[in-house]
Amino acid sequence: MEEHKSHLTYTLYMLTLFLCGTLLFLIGFFPASYNVAEQENTLPIDRPTTLHGENLQIPTASYDSFILFLIDALRADFPNEFTMPAAHKRACAKLSLHVDIPTVTMPRLKSITTGTLSNFIDIALNVGHTEQVEDSLLHRLKEHNAVVSFAGDHTWVHLFPSEFTRIAANNDSFYVNDFYEGDRNVTKVLETELEMKDWKLLILHYLGLDHIGHVEGNESPRIKHKLKEMDDAIKKILDHKNMTNYLLMLTGDHGMADGGGHGGNTPAETSVPLYLYSNNCSKYAASTKRYNQIDLTPTLALLLSIEIPTMSIGCLIPEMLQTLSLEHQMYAFFYNAHHLLNKARVKFGHDNVRRSDYYHWYQEATLLHKQLLQPLRLGDGSLASRVHYENAKLNYLRVAREISGQLSESLVKFDYGFIAVGLALTTATSLHILLSVLFIDMATEQLQLYRLKVGQLLLSLAIGIALNVGSHLLDFVLTSSMLQGLLLLLPIVAAVYLTIDVAQALLKILLPPLYSRHLKLSIPLPVPLLVCYAIRILTLGSSSFIEFEYKTWYYLGNTLLMLIALKTLRRRITKANVELDGRHLHKIASTCLWQQRKIFVVLILLILMRYLHRLAAIKSTLMLFSLLLFWARLRKFTDTPQAVFNGFAFLLVYCFRGLNGQVQFFELPQYMVGRFLLPVLVLFWCCLALVLVLGYRTALPHQRESGRSLLDEQPRSNLLKLLHTNLTCSLMLVALLYKVQNVVLLPTLLITLDETYKLCEAYGTTARKFSVRLVHVYKTIMTIFVARMFYFYQGNSNSLSTIDLTPGYIGQTSYNPIIVGFFVTLNTYSAEIHSFLYLIVHTLRADLRSVGIMQLQPSYARAAHSLVAPLYAALVLLPAAFYLLLMVGFRYHLFIYSVFSPKVLYDCYTVFVFYLVFLTTSLYFKLFKHEA
Amino acid sequence: MVSRFDQQKTKHQLFHVSLSLATILICMTYMQYRRNWAHLGSFWDSLIVPIVFIGELLKVILARFFGRIEDGVLTVKQRQKKAAYFTPRELLGGLTLQFLCTLLYAFICIILGAPVLANYEQTFVLSLLMTLLTVSPTVFLLGGGGALQVCFCEKPDFVTKCEDTALHLFKYNALGGILGAWAGSVVAPLDWGRDWQVYPIPNVIGALLGSALGNIYACTHVLYACGRVYMSKKRA
Repeated sequence: MEEHKSHLTYTLYMLTLFLCGTLLFLIGFFPASYNVAEQENTLPIDRPTTLHGENLQIPTASYDSFILFLIDALRADFPNEFTMPAAHKRACAKLSLHVDIPTVTMPRLKSITTGTLSNFIDIALNVGHTEQVEDSLLHRLKEHNAVVSFAGDHTWVHLFPSEFTRIAANNDSFYVNDFYEGDRNVTKVLETELEMKDWKLLILHYLGLDHIGHVEGNESPRIKHKLKEMDDAIKKILDHKNMTNYLLMLTGDHGMADGGGHGGNTPAETSVPLYLYSNNCSKYAASTKRYNQIDLTPTLALLLSIEIPTMSIGCLIPEMLQTLSLEHQMYAFFYNAHHLLNKARVKFGHDNVRRSDYYHWYQEATLLHKQLLQPLRLGDGSLASRVHYENAKLNYLRVAREISGQLSESLVKFDYGFIAVGLALTTATSLHILLSVLFIDMATEQLQLYRLKVGQLLLSLAIGIALNVGSHLLDFVLTSSMLQGLLLLLPIVAAVYLTIDVAQALLKILLPPLYSRHLKLSIPLPVPLLVCYAIRILTLGSSSFIEFEYKTWYYLGNTLLMLIALKTLRRRITKANVELDGRHLHKIASTCLWQQRKIFVVLILLILMRYLHRLAAIKSTLMLFSLLLFWARLRKFTDTPQAVFNGFAFLLVYCFRGLNGQVQFFELPQYMVGRFLLPVLVLFWCCLALVLVLGYRTALPHQRESGRSLLDEQPRSNLLKLLHTNLTCSLMLVALLYKVQNVVLLPTLLITLDETYKLCEAYGTTARKFSVRLVHVYKTIMTIFVARMFYFYQGNSNSLSTIDLTPGYIGQTSYNPIIVGFFVTLNTYSAEIHSFLYLIVHTLRADLRSVGIMQLQPSYARAAHSLVAPLYAALVLLPAAFYLLLMVGFRYHLFIYSVFSPKVLYDCYTVFVFYLVFLTTSLYFKLFKHEA
Repeated sequence: MVSRFDQQKTKHQLFHVSLSLATILICMTYMQYRRNWAHLGSFWDSLIVPIVFIGELLKVILARFFGRIEDGVLTVKQRQKKAAYFTPRELLGGLTLQFLCTLLYAFICIILGAPVLANYEQTFVLSLLMTLLTVSPTVFLLGGGGALQVCFCEKPDFVTKCEDTALHLFKYNALGGILGAWAGSVVAPLDWGRDWQVYPIPNVIGALLGSALGNIYACTHVLYACGRVYMSKKRA
């Protein structure tokens, strides 16, 4: 028993180490603050006042007031003459901006205000938004004592806690069920601000559109309504009597994907409009050019007559500068080029810059500029000066564009020290766990993988210290403090220790002469499963296979199911045919086919699941039917009182959806709906709690005394009962969280898993040489395939825009990151979590006598923690480790941030979720095992 | 193996491989001639299915031709089987079996991701081709009941030596065809935007190439043995 317990503990340690490794890798691959290391203070902050000895005149602010009208998730095709008539008709210029990834709010706000590209990992920090910005337009405005007022998204306040003069932020900008309340407040602030008229810059950030997109998708009728509301707000500004000399900029922080989310890289998400409004429109030339979002920052800085923020790497938008005099325009082009050239000098070194093309263009432009100063001041409109002017302007612009491009490419910086440590740890861990599973019989004695060897630990400690000190001395690893350096020692030592272990084990396996007998694999590895698994791993190397990963899973999963079904069928027929010697063959065939009818039904169901999104028309019927089916399935694990509450809870789920108007329900007036919604949810939670309590009651200590005799008969019943209860409760919760048309996936998942397991058993028993482990291996691998298939049936993908945020807010009235995170994770990963739990429960419960086989040693149920769980863990870790290796190879790939990086986040999170589930399960094993 | 070099068997196998390769070559020439991939999946417009059908028929005739030589040494059971070949019962059984197989292949295509109704014609052509490559030769050779027995019995005793050779070749033919068609789907998710990435085309070509490769693989040791014999003769 002790030995078997150690399997779980060992796997848990391995998973922990693997997670540490991925964390280190992520830190190294996406350094959270890459610009800190740069010596930004070497840049001159002040604006240049002389050019080749001539004094330059710094332009004053060209407008009295600026309004940044930011609509969250305003995609390029939203504002048009029908949805926003006034805004569309009265715009002086309509430009479009290209947004960089990640297309989520916080990094975008940083880009707009600082003018630098954001880090990919900001997407993860988007929810936490802890980091404050060092230097931005708002910091500069504050230095100039300008009044800046703000209303809208709370994220701004986290980024700029003290830079605003007046703040009216929404309290909970992550609460997506709020469509109108927050926006109404913003408009109210807008009205008072318009009356006050003392501000230089007013920032309005409307969130409603984004929330509607998240909850109802981009086709929702409310979007039109919302755009109309925005249109009215703009009209209010344009028609206000106080607005005399102003610039109003209407733009979005990011776009909206076709499903309504954002975060990915589709054109719909990366393209936003920029509409400009002013009181003298005539000076604007019509243009539909496309600029980068970071170009807005230097342009605004010049119009506001402040310094360009140090980190800005944007170019200028000439269309916005047309209200300036020619001399001032020239100054603007000069200043931005000058700023970028200084940045390039810091980044690439003086000598490299001097040798480059753009330096010569810059020289040429400044000479022309100097010649032009006098004619421009005199207002000389001669042809020669016009030509010189255009020439200088073009040169300045191309200098800026060139440097901006080079700088944004060079922003990608990897911390190879952390990457190396992380990779070493993940690779060593996954190899270690793989070896220990493959040679599970020998792992304890001959390979000694489970035992902690003190001598080896000391040795690896010494090597680790040497490596750590050496790499610090060689500047290979940079840590900011002594403590971090010491902390880094731990993963290095672990990696070294595991590598020595793996190397020793490999040596022992590959060099059998050292041993009396050859080391054989302890578990059978069926070829088709291995081939499919290998294909799945190899396809990670192609960006299109990652984008369409669901196709791979559907194809391979169905192939495997089909293959096993047909093979079993053939074996059954052959077996039945042996005695009959070829007579009545078609009768035997049809009988065997009829025996296997269920698996074909499952295959047809799996085809149907592919078309789930088309079943919206019958979703009420479908939901009722699937809840009924689900209840019947869960009835297998629950006793009668539990089943009653379970059924009641499902009824409440339907009521909840009905009250929300997503399925057919009694027609109720709006105020009644609001009143009923809360009690329904409370009742649901009560039912859930009751089911939980009823299930746990059997495991309570005082119950054990009375039921001693019962327990002796079924030693595993307590543990099994508890796991059943957990599975039931979490499935009930998921039924509440799932989208209406997705609920049918839950019973289908259970049916599919059940039938797959039966099929695997039948396959194992018809084999010539029966082995329990073969059945386990088949079941485990098939579970992984089925789980992934259902994960993708649900609508998930490898793009961050398909994460469904709505379930996080069911029954919530405010934004609570823990609850929302829990719900969203449970909703997204429900297929994988429950498949694993179901596999464990099934293995514990399974009784091979039902298929005509005596229990063998080691007993079938014990395999749950000695073989199935470690094998599952190894199979989860292996692709993730391989993918991390691939990432390093692909680090300069064109699609690294758009395709590969989101996938790596998904992968790491999958491992993390698996870790949590595994931790919980093994805790139950630890706590309740001793009763067995 | 080399010591008991069976001339008839080797001839049979070599002719068989040449027939397969000829079929593939004709198919390829035809495709090159049409210069348009889209029609590959259409039933009335594509000549692939008739070409493959004739090819498979020729293979069966080849097997029958070689089978005639050993007519004298047949057992009673084998004779009975031969006599029952053209009875309506056997013919009907064979046709039913092929039809059911086509349905099964269509079902597999749909399970593996083909659209359920939208591309029914292409699915039908693909499954017809798969049936022709896998089941039909055996059915033509042995009749419906015989094919079933070959598939599900350990060692049917009515199979003559020559038929055994043919069945061995058909087996690799079928395996290669299935694997090729299965592996052909690999190009489907790629974003190259070529017109030959559309659903049935890579699978059809994969099936053809796969069966040819399977044939060659089945004959590798024969080819090798031929080479050995040839070399030893030359030396002597």
